[in-house]
Amino acid sequence: MNNDKFHQVILPLKDKLYRLALSIVRDETEAEDIVQDVLLKLWSKRNEWNDIENMEAYCYRSIKNLSFDRLTYNSLRKTDNIEPDKEHLAFVDNITPHLEFVQQEQRSIIYKCIDELSDNQKLVFQLREVEGMSYRNIAETLEISEELVKISLFRARKKLKELLEKYNNDGI
Amino acid sequence: MEFENIHTLINKYWNCETSTQEEQILQDFFSQEEIPDELKEYAPLFRYKKDSQSKTLSSDFDKRLSTAIREQEKENKYITVKIFAPALRIAASVALITGLGIGIYLVANQNKKNYFAETYNDPNAALKHATFALDKLSDALKKGEEASMESLRELEELNLDWAALDSLNMEQMETNHSEIPVETENL
Repeated sequence: MNNDKFHQVILPLKDKLYRLALSIVRDETEAEDIVQDVLLKLWSKRNEWNDIENMEAYCYRSIKNLSFDRLTYNSLRKTDNIEPDKEHLAFVDNITPHLEFVQQEQRSIIYKCIDELSDNQKLVFQLREVEGMSYRNIAETLEISEELVKISLFRARKKLKELLEKYNNDGI
Repeated sequence: MEFENIHTLINKYWNCETSTQEEQILQDFFSQEEIPDELKEYAPLFRYKKDSQSKTLSSDFDKRLSTAIREQEKENKYITVKIFAPALRIAASVALITGLGIGIYLVANQNKKNYFAETYNDPNAALKHATFALDKLSDALKKGEEASMESLRELEELNLDWAALDSLNMEQMETNHSEIPVETENL
């Protein structure tokens, strides 16, 4: 029975869990490692599954907690991934009309903007924008009120809008 | 016509009034090639959403996970057998105690044997060697005794005045005592 539940409920979540981990640690290997650790731990605790009310939310929370733990253990990893941004900053004076270049720049701009968000805003943003979850689902997952979810999302979008407009005016 | 619709949608989006379906419409709109200039600045946001949605675990993840689960399972079984089987615990303690007992017994016996080892086959030869060794010892002892008697005799012949020597000793001790306070004064 537990085996079925694992295959029907938990395993289909794996890519969503992976994306959440990835949005926090920004490292693909590390994110895969986190998902594997969480699923392994869940499997070893399969006798306690009946006590868990919302399995999906529980999985997301486990991923969130482990990802933040890993970040604090290895805070260098995050800056590692921002390195390419700094690299392209050196070329800002050289305006080349390459579409690829512009897109790459815009991509790193959005990463920079997202870095400006608070942890809670980032999580809400990820669950809403990327996973398309409802406000109530997000509230249950993060164990916060629906109001707070809306406020966090509103602030996150507002901040991203301002930052994008600012970059647009200053940059190109 | 459509652009106007997008404009209202994006304003709703900033105010968090859009449904997930409407947000999907916005995302589809921004993923196309032609985007009006006034909206271009927001394109990276929707492109980021699309990029992030396409991220998936590598294909061999399931295989690795099941291997990891099997390994964990094996480990758990091993630990259960090791800790929880009472028969195994009793057997282990019995083996330990017998092993230790035999070991101690062997070591003790080995030490006993080595104390008095028989090295002679013929008792007469043994007696002969023992007498020879004892004779040598008594000779040596006798020589030592004679030498000490000799020195005593020599001392007596010197005719020393023991009383004078004793008083000399006493004087020296007194002078030693009197020196001590002088030293402390100097300090």
